[in-house]
Amino acid sequence: MTEHTLKFFGEELEQLKAEVIRMGGIVESQVAQAVRAVADRDVGLAERVVIEDERLDVLQHEVERGAIRLIALRQPVAQDLRRTVGSLKLSLVLERAGDYAKNIAKRALVIAHADPEIPLTRSVQRMGELVGDRLKEALDAYSAGDVDAARNVWNRDEDIDEHYNSLFRELLTYMMGDPHTIAACAHLLFVAKNLERIGDYCTSIAEIVQYEVAGEEFLDPRPKWSSVEPPARSSGEPA
Amino acid sequence: MAVLSFPWRKSAALPDSAATPTANDRLSLLAAVVDLLPDPVLIVQRAAMPNAPVRVMASNAAAQELLRIRGDGESLIAVLRHPEVLGTVENTLATGEGRTMTYETGGPQSRAFRVWTKMLENDARQSALVVLRDETDARRLERMRADFLANASHELRTPLASITAYVETLQGHARDDIEARDRFLAIMSVQARRMGRLIDDLMSLSRIELNERVPPSGVCDVALVAREVIDGLLPVCSGKNVRLQLTAPAGSQVVASGERDQIAQVMQNLIDNAVKYAPEGTTVLISVNASASFEPEAEGPDANVLREQGGGRVCLVSPERSHEQRYVMVRIADQGSGIAREHLPRLTERFYRVPGQKSGEIGGTGLGLAIVKHIVNRHRGGLAVESVPGQGTVFAVFLPQGEFG
Repeated sequence: MTEHTLKFFGEELEQLKAEVIRMGGIVESQVAQAVRAVADRDVGLAERVVIEDERLDVLQHEVERGAIRLIALRQPVAQDLRRTVGSLKLSLVLERAGDYAKNIAKRALVIAHADPEIPLTRSVQRMGELVGDRLKEALDAYSAGDVDAARNVWNRDEDIDEHYNSLFRELLTYMMGDPHTIAACAHLLFVAKNLERIGDYCTSIAEIVQYEVAGEEFLDPRPKWSSVEPPARSSGEPA
Repeated sequence: MAVLSFPWRKSAALPDSAATPTANDRLSLLAAVVDLLPDPVLIVQRAAMPNAPVRVMASNAAAQELLRIRGDGESLIAVLRHPEVLGTVENTLATGEGRTMTYETGGPQSRAFRVWTKMLENDARQSALVVLRDETDARRLERMRADFLANASHELRTPLASITAYVETLQGHARDDIEARDRFLAIMSVQARRMGRLIDDLMSLSRIELNERVPPSGVCDVALVAREVIDGLLPVCSGKNVRLQLTAPAGSQVVASGERDQIAQVMQNLIDNAVKYAPEGTTVLISVNASASFEPEAEGPDANVLREQGGGRVCLVSPERSHEQRYVMVRIADQGSGIAREHLPRLTERFYRVPGQKSGEIGGTGLGLAIVKHIVNRHRGGLAVESVPGQGTVFAVFLPQGEFG
């Protein structure tokens, strides 16, 4: 290959990566705004999040087309190939994380009209902040190609799980205490579950970073679901 | 320092060999100044081809630290991917119009930034200046002020609503009912006094805040002040069947440097609180120690022991520690219901109430401890609290030692 082609390939790959990071930025803001819409009962904000999700779908298609074009025309190998495939994988992960944010926003619309008010939105907000922080770390690791930072994200999924479990228990208490709150609580439960899923995607992002940079997967077992051991499950935990 | 990363400095040195050293000096000085600015400053540029990425051409130290910029020429999106900020920057590059916006970074330690963008006119390529300013503190202050106003008006409105209702009743059907009139007037007078107390506290808080940076003058005998405050509270105590017990060094003065009236107010608020929250038939212990160093953990049980019992110890005001400084220490211990650990750090917030505690029953204004905190702060003293739910609460005040004469 001539030097000219190499340079050209590098630029195209960089642009692909930039588009993925742009998606990441939108997902971060979508998650933060969806959680704020739940906490502040902000209907307008929730509606904006739902509309904004279309942009993610468009960007995802662009990244996909770009990655396939790159593979077809330049036939990259080794790390270049991994980077191209990584962008493709990441765009899919981000698109799905964005869908969860949209779902949270849709539920925010319902919760905003719920009666009586559930005072639990503060816990959801805290969990949302935690997930947002994790998402930021994962995307920072991606844009810097930092494997150590990625491993850090990958190892620390459990505190999100813990938050989710305690919220689950709290919501159960509310629903048992006052059946009128069941509808809104059920929606909040899904909000928490969606946040937990987005947290899982952060570990997927970390895995993609590791694959791109090192070409191998994290081998040691990840501490996962450590807080839901069989005895806890018998008391009504989510499986 | 990355002073060299500023392009104007390089270009100034390039073609014009006749440039006077002073002009060069000025430019490098300017570059150094920009590099030292506390606000992150970036110059971004977009090459004149379609879909070209926006790149960071130069950045000062604050920007490199905040955005973790590794070198010039990095693409902007790799360091700053907030969609609205990107949109604003791209918009400025496309239209040439400067913009301002605010954004929050999100996450548990979310910070709010104001973003300014401005086209760089004298550049053939499309470049823009981006300046960020951290407005987190201003936002927080704004929120605190709004909270304070809301709280203060709420606290004033409750007794006022009650007075208004009784006035209306007295003007209406209770006009000639002598018995009801006496009862209503008694309630109205209690409510009016409550409003009066709140306004007194608000005014004294604002007065104290005004002088918080003015060092206090004078000295006073803390043991004597404590004794006077206790004497003043005796009627309340006998009404509630609460005993006050003072332990002070016998026969000598306990001198602290500070304003007597303010120190008396600290004692008054703390002892009054202890009496208010003490159950009937218990004793409030007040001990005055003439010479102590600022070590709240030296007295009382071990922190781990407190923690095991669900309580804790928190330093609410710490003096700028100098090891030689000796303090007069006053400990006020009640045998009340105690306060859970998570509420301790917030006790000195205005109108903060431990959940489950109703303001009307106890009759506090919610400002007492805020006043104590500001006075102690002004005196360069210390304030600590330790509490175990079910066992009681101890407040410890540290005031710098003084000398008469």
